Formats: sequence, C-alpha cells, structure tokens
Amino acid sequence: MTRSVVPVTIVTLFLVALQLSVFSSLRFAGVVVMIVWLWPLCLGLVGRTGLGLWSALVAGVFFDTHSVTPFGLSALVALTLAYGASRLGKEGVGDLDSAAWWVTPVLAGVGGLFAPALFVAAGAFALDFSLWRNSVAPMMMVNALAFMVLARPVTRLARWSSGMGRSRR
Amino acid sequence: MVSERSRRRAWTTSVLALTVVILLYLTGGVLSGLRSAANLVVAPFSFVINAVARPIGHTLAGAINYSDVVAQNQKLRYQLGRAELRANEAWAFERQMMQLTTNLHVPFVGALATVTAQVSAISPTNFAATIDISKGRDDGVMAGMPVVANGGLVGHVIDTTPHGATVQLISDTHSQVGVTFAKGTSDLIVGGNGVNHGLSARSVPFSAAITPGTRLSTDGLSGGLYPPGLPVAFVKTVTLTPGAATYDLTLQPAADIRHLAYVDVVLWEPAA
Repeated sequence: MTRSVVPVTIVTLFLVALQLSVFSSLRFAGVVVMIVWLWPLCLGLVGRTGLGLWSALVAGVFFDTHSVTPFGLSALVALTLAYGASRLGKEGVGDLDSAAWWVTPVLAGVGGLFAPALFVAAGAFALDFSLWRNSVAPMMMVNALAFMVLARPVTRLARWSSGMGRSRR
Repeated sequence: MVSERSRRRAWTTSVLALTVVILLYLTGGVLSGLRSAANLVVAPFSFVINAVARPIGHTLAGAINYSDVVAQNQKLRYQLGRAELRANEAWAFERQMMQLTTNLHVPFVGALATVTAQVSAISPTNFAATIDISKGRDDGVMAGMPVVANGGLVGHVIDTTPHGATVQLISDTHSQVGVTFAKGTSDLIVGGNGVNHGLSARSVPFSAAITPGTRLSTDGLSGGLYPPGLPVAFVKTVTLTPGAATYDLTLQPAADIRHLAYVDVVLWEPAA
C-alpha cells in the first residue's frame, strides 16, 4: 500500500480538480456527477481497502473545503462507499478480471444510487435537516447512470495507479 | 490471523470516520483556514485541468452551438434596447421615489451604492445553491449584504475573503426572504426549493388576495436581511389544498438565477 499512496493521492487530487473545474459546471439534468465518490468506490472494488479509505478521506476533505454543505459529509459518504465496495472487492466480486463485465458497472451504479441518499441521512447527524429538499431522486438517478458508465474506465485507472497493472479484459 | 487483520482494518476505518465526524463540528476559523490550505493544494491541479479542458470545451461548444449563440446575441440586443428604454422612463420615477423616501427616512435601493462582481464559480455540490464572486472584503463586501442581478434579488453574501465572497442564492433550501405585495399591505416568507427549483411560500392566508403574476418585493422590515423594494419573484401558481385554511404558492424568481455572469452587491448591511 505504502508505495501506491503517492500515485493514488496525486490521481485523487487531479480528480478533485476535475470535479471542481469541469463536473461542477457540466451538469446533467441539473445534477452534478460526483466522481469524488466514484473514485474511492472503484479503488474499493479492486480490493484496495486502505487506499480506498485514504483516497475517500483526501477527496472528501478537499471537496468539502470548496463546498458550503456541512464539512466532512462528502468525506463520510466517500468513506462508506469505499469501505462497502472494498468488502466486495476483497471477495473479487467487483474486480475487472474475476467477475462478469457488467458486475463492476452495476455495483458502481448501486453506489451512485444510494450515495446522495446517504449524504442526506448523514446531514441529519450534522443537524442539517433541509438537505432532503434538494430533489434527491434525480441526483440518485443521474449519479447511478454516470457511475455505471464511468465505472470500468475509473476501475482501470484505480488498478493502474494502485500498482496492480492492467486488467486482462 | 484473519481476526487480527480485520481488527486493524476496523480500527483504521473507525479512526478515519471519527476524524471526519470531529471535523464535521469544526467550523468558523478552523474551516476557513482549511479551505485556504485546500485551495492552495488543489490550485495547481485545477490549473492543469482547466488548461486542457477549457479550450476543448469551448471549441466543442462553439462548433455545436454557433447558431444558438447568434440567435441569443440578437435576442440580447433586442432586450438591451428595451431595457434602455425602460431605464430612461424609470429615471424620472426613481428621482421622485428617492425624494419621497428621503423625506420618510426609508432606505431605497436606487440610492444605495453597489459593487459589480464577476461570478467566478458555482456551487460544486448538488446540495447547496451558492456562487462565488470576484469581489471581497477589500472592495467593501461584507457578510449579509444583498446581491442583485438580472432584474431582481439573487441572494446574500454569507462568507467573504479579501478578494472574493460566497453568495447564498434565494433558491437555496436555507434561504428565507421576507416579501410584501399588494402595495405593502401583506407580508410572506419565501423559501428556496433547492438548486434546480424555484421558490415557494407556504401557508398563505386566504385574506391575502394573490393571483398568478403578482410581483413580490422585499419587505424591508426593521431588522430584516434586505432593504425594501427589491423584486424577488413572481407568483407562478396558487395551490389550494382541499380542506386547508391556507394556500401554497409556487414562485418564479424575478432574476434569472441559472445564468449569472455578473452581479451587483448592494452595500447595505442588515441592522444588528
């Protein structure tokens, strides 16, 4: 893990910059696609628990410093996604090599579907009870679709940056 | 062995989660310091991303939307002409209004100084309707000041740095604006419905005679967040729930808050 921390951190910071510079303006149906959540999820799916949690913390904290929502909420959601995905990744469920081609996109889609709802639920713990008023359903749908589409290339990037080499498929 | 690894992993996860939970409650000075530090770290990466993505985006957008841009330009010229005509007509009324409000010792927005600022960023998240602007404390912008653009109220400043500020839009779910209509005889509270939605007002009493198209302006009540007379929204629909003693309003913001390029910060501070 130690050797991969630097490349993963650099890729994470690039993805945070991409999120803030490109994806925040490039809205689909008015919804921002949260690649800062997809990235740790994909690292988890390739079975890199430690790196997934580290990238979740880095991406979440750096993203939260640019947002006016309660500080740490995005990081908390990213950590949850990374941990949940890594449980599956350890079993080889979401990995590109050991599972059917559609498994990774479907798992990422499920993550994208529940991530906004998780954010709203976590918001209640930060005593912010108004987050649910932001039309969560379109956010869930758009993020689920986007995560499905982006899951395979991002998982490949996760394998490459974490030193696991290229996938066979 | 397995239990040892699992225990270590559980520890790592718990420590990370706990760190985040603690950070959740650290606000104010610590957060603004963190924000500045994070900006410094992300800035070089953003610079590279922008250098690559912007020209590609502009080329694609220019190629695909050329006819739209030409049409939009023509429409804007027409609107500019109409606005100039209205401005000329309004000049005389404004002078009269200023005279009257001065006599009555009531603040009038036309007489208040403004600072024009460029919109530098929009909220990166789905859960907050905010914009960042290019003017801050060094230009006299303070937290609480109202922000107007495109013919109406846009929001108010919630945070400032020496060279920038964050504006909470009226469509944010935390936003509450006191408004008045019917020549100032009725008051309402207008709330935001989130990033992609308009505004609404709930539990409006039957006694308030209101119809679609009615214009709502800030009430300027003593101790309020805004000076009086800023156009906030127009009534879009009036919904009556059977059996209820009140009705709900769906509102269209007076300003086009989805397309903000420049805004004016009104140099007016709410009373303490």
